[in-house]
Amino acid sequence: MDIISQLQEQVDLIASLAFNTIGTLQRDAPPVRLSPNYPEPPANPTEDFADQPKLMSAALVKAAKQFDALVAALPLAEGGEEAQLKRIAELQAENDAVGQELQRQLEAAEKELKQVQELFSQATDNCLNLKKPD
Amino acid sequence: MATATYPPPPPYYRLYKDYLQNPKSAPEPPSPIEGTYICFGGNYTTDYVLPSLEEQGVRRLYPKGPNVDFKKELRSLNRELQLHILELSDVLIERPSQYARRVEDISLIFKNLHHLLNSLRPHQARATLIHILELQIQRRKQAVEDIKRRREEAQKLLKEALGTLDGQ
Repeated sequence: MDIISQLQEQVDLIASLAFNTIGTLQRDAPPVRLSPNYPEPPANPTEDFADQPKLMSAALVKAAKQFDALVAALPLAEGGEEAQLKRIAELQAENDAVGQELQRQLEAAEKELKQVQELFSQATDNCLNLKKPD
Repeated sequence: MATATYPPPPPYYRLYKDYLQNPKSAPEPPSPIEGTYICFGGNYTTDYVLPSLEEQGVRRLYPKGPNVDFKKELRSLNRELQLHILELSDVLIERPSQYARRVEDISLIFKNLHHLLNSLRPHQARATLIHILELQIQRRKQAVEDIKRRREEAQKLLKEALGTLDGQ
C-alpha cells in the first residue's frame, strides 16, 4: 500500500486507540472517594485492571512512534510543484525525441525487411525456374 | 412494519417506442451537468479539487504558504495530538464536566492531519507521472537498441550470404 494511505490508516489507528483507551478506563475505573462526608466506596476493580492503563498507553505511544517513522519515510523529493512540472516537461520532450528516433529506426527496418523479402522471392523464383522437372 | 413497493420506473419509456426504427423520434438524454449541483439537499461540485480547510469551517493549525514543510508539520501535529490526549485524561480526573473543549481540540487536530495528508496526493500523482515517463523512455531506448542490433545482424548475414554465393 502506498505511503500516504499507510499514513492515513495510522492516523485512524491512533484515533481508535485513543478513544478505546479513554472509554475503557472511564468505564472500568473503580469508584473513588470524593468528599469526607460520604463513606469509602467498596473498591473492587475488575480482574487485571491494574495493567490495562499501562498496556493501552504503551500501544498508543507505539502507534505514534510508528506514525513518526512513516513520516520520516515520505519520499518528498525536493519541494515545489514547479520543480515537478518542469521535470515532467523535460521528460516529455525527451520522450518525444526518443519516440521519433524509434519511429525512424522502425521505418528503416521495415524497408530493409521488404527489400529482403523481395530478394528472397526473386531467388526462390529463379531456383524454381532453374530446377529441371524430373 | 408496513412494507412499501418500489416506486415505478419513470414514465419516459413510452417515448422510446419507435427508437429502433427512427432514432430521432425520441428525446435525447440530458447533457452532463457542469459546475455545482444539488443532490438530496447537499451541494456538490463537479470540480474535483480538495476544498481548503477554511471552506469547511475548520480552523487551520499549520502555517499557510506556497510550500508547506509536510514532514515537520505532520510531526508537530502528532506531538500536539499526544499532548491533547494526555490533557483529556487529566481533565477527566480533575474536572470531568469540561471534557467537551478538549474533545473538540482533538477532533480539530485529526481534521488538520487528514487535510494535510490529502493535500499530499497531487504531489504523489505528479511523482507517479514522472516515474511512468522515465520507465517509458527507458523502454523506448531499449527498443531502439534492439532494432539497431537486429538490423546490423541482418546486414552481416546478407553480406555473408553474398560472400558464399560469389565464392561459388
